[in-house]
Amino acid sequence: MHGRQASQLVKELASSEKGQLKPFNMQHNTCNFNVFGSLGMLHVLRFLSDLFDQVIEQCEQHHLELQSLIRKIQDEGLDVQTTRNADHYGALIHHLSLVRNKRCLLAYVYNRAEIIRSFIWKVGPVLPEEIQEKLSHTEGDHFRRYSASLNSYVQEVGVDLTLDMVPPKDPYIKVRVLDDMGAIVLSDKTANLARHSMHFLRRTDAEQYIAQGLMEELTG
Amino acid sequence: MARVGMARVLLVCPVVFRKEVNGVKIDDSVEKGFVEAGSRSELPFWLAKELHLRQAVSMSTPACFNQKTRMEIQADAACVDLRSRCPYFYEFGCKIAPLVGDQTIGYLLLSAFKTRYEIILSKAHTATFSASSKLSTILTKEETDLYETAQWSMAAFKKWRTGGPRFQKASILGRKRRSID
Repeated sequence: MHGRQASQLVKELASSEKGQLKPFNMQHNTCNFNVFGSLGMLHVLRFLSDLFDQVIEQCEQHHLELQSLIRKIQDEGLDVQTTRNADHYGALIHHLSLVRNKRCLLAYVYNRAEIIRSFIWKVGPVLPEEIQEKLSHTEGDHFRRYSASLNSYVQEVGVDLTLDMVPPKDPYIKVRVLDDMGAIVLSDKTANLARHSMHFLRRTDAEQYIAQGLMEELTG
Repeated sequence: MARVGMARVLLVCPVVFRKEVNGVKIDDSVEKGFVEAGSRSELPFWLAKELHLRQAVSMSTPACFNQKTRMEIQADAACVDLRSRCPYFYEFGCKIAPLVGDQTIGYLLLSAFKTRYEIILSKAHTATFSASSKLSTILTKEETDLYETAQWSMAAFKKWRTGGPRFQKASILGRKRRSID
């Protein structure tokens, strides 16, 4: 069926939870599965995860068949623009399939890029390992460049746009550290952020650590 | 059986070819290498639509808007499993209706949605988890979005009323940590 793989690729987006990311569906991304050992398993993962490449391959196939049908029309001495024979409709179907596949590929890449850009607002400029490994090489690059351009804008206007929108009642908040972070230099002091210790920190310092799940805010 | 499976995956339309088509692999044309005019097939909606507009095929109403579904919706729209018929029942209906020239589809969609919308909203605010999981198996994708939006707005209202920590861990990180714990 025409465009089946492409629709599977788009469905992968639709079926995943909002704002969550799955590993990029491309062969060279599976190399980190090597650690699992068994060849059979590797084979299965390969099969599952090179959809993106499969769709591109299909596009090339459609392109070849489209060209050969057009050539056939020309060889018969007919005008490609006005002929409406069986070859024309065959070429039309290949053309439509090609355009459809392209659209699905673009939708896949575009929607992922949107989620990836949202990370910078939710998590901050440093992505944890478990997210990093889901990005393809170009996506990682996109994230770094987006982060850099946001950063340069923030420096130009002099306001950190990634901070909370609601004005704080108190510039300081009470937090509990959830994971050993060691001594960290904050904007107003150096604090030893040991696990389970409680601190009184500037909101602006604490925000990124809370977003990364390293601290929690204490209320009341 | 393969057909049924396919219909669930893709939005397919039954079509009749009005023109001969060369060099494509659709259904039984794989061996012959061409599709005869007058042969019947099922094509994905995006392809069927374009070919229909160019008068290469003529579309007819897809199976998910058949007489059986209509009767069930008339009987009690709230209990019909629309999800298995078509996960995008309303959107698909809106797109298909002008193409096949079937004006009854509009009324069908409207009457189904009226009844179901009411139930979705009331269940979203009141239902316990077990009741809602049963409901979610019959909702279309569009209805599921509505249901989740309703629940989310209720949760946001409760949070606004009772207060709570302003900052939370980014939701993208949530799942993995929990599975380790």
